Amino acid sequence: MDADIEEIREKYLNLKFDEKQFTIDPETTIQYAKLCGETAERFLDADHEEFQAPPTFIACLSGSRMLPKDFPRFGIGMDAGKGVECLQPVRPGSTVTGKTHLHDIYTKTGRSGRMIFVVTRIEFYDSEGNHLVNSDSRMVMRERN
Amino acid sequence: MAIKKLDEVEFGVDLPTFIPDTSLAITTEFAKLIGWNAPRFTDHEAAKKEGLAGAMAPGVLSQGYLVAMIHNWAPVAEVLAVDTIFRAPVIADEAHTITGVVTDIDEENAKVEIDLTVANEKGETRVFGTATVK
Repeated sequence: MDADIEEIREKYLNLKFDEKQFTIDPETTIQYAKLCGETAERFLDADHEEFQAPPTFIACLSGSRMLPKDFPRFGIGMDAGKGVECLQPVRPGSTVTGKTHLHDIYTKTGRSGRMIFVVTRIEFYDSEGNHLVNSDSRMVMRERN
Repeated sequence: MAIKKLDEVEFGVDLPTFIPDTSLAITTEFAKLIGWNAPRFTDHEAAKKEGLAGAMAPGVLSQGYLVAMIHNWAPVAEVLAVDTIFRAPVIADEAHTITGVVTDIDEENAKVEIDLTVANEKGETRVFGTATVK
């Protein structure tokens, strides 16, 4: 691994840099489900005994910042992908807390130069502190030459 | 036929093809719902000025399509994880197709892994995803 990336990893990985609360609105999660083409009733019917937000709904929730304040800018960031890990259902009507940290930093080098990938993870917890979901956003920055 | 339990799933089987509604009306409503009101998601002309071929579906909508497809195939399936790679924009008002194939079955832990691909009419992959369900 490149020395500069190793240094950045040591400085930034796994340190919480943002915390934000979100209220999960039932009407919004139902509409989200409908627009995605969801057919399972537990995501569409607020009276269903297992009513819950669709698994990827949480990926729509953004923290106050994507990167730590002093994180180096290698270039313009582009959305390279998203991942969601579901540990427990997110219940509409509840309030969840998102805690953000950098989960991974790595590079890939191609013909056009080095690209830096940064994975920002938001861990979501319910009001009792139960860990519900991890939401990863993968950003790629093409290094300025 | 909808899958109801793990032992009905076979390795290598294709999921029923899913046709997502990628109309501009849907992508616009979705973008506004989640607070992403940027013109690139809601206006073809504005998106073209940004260098896109047209207004694009938000990436998280594509992710939502993948999960909807899984539940369409197996309504009781619990999605444990889904990871998506956005290779190219999903352009609104263009037809897209989502295909999926079962790539692994973990009988001991009752988990199934599925590869999912969103492609446009030319057969170009726009989004690739991997989901783990039980």
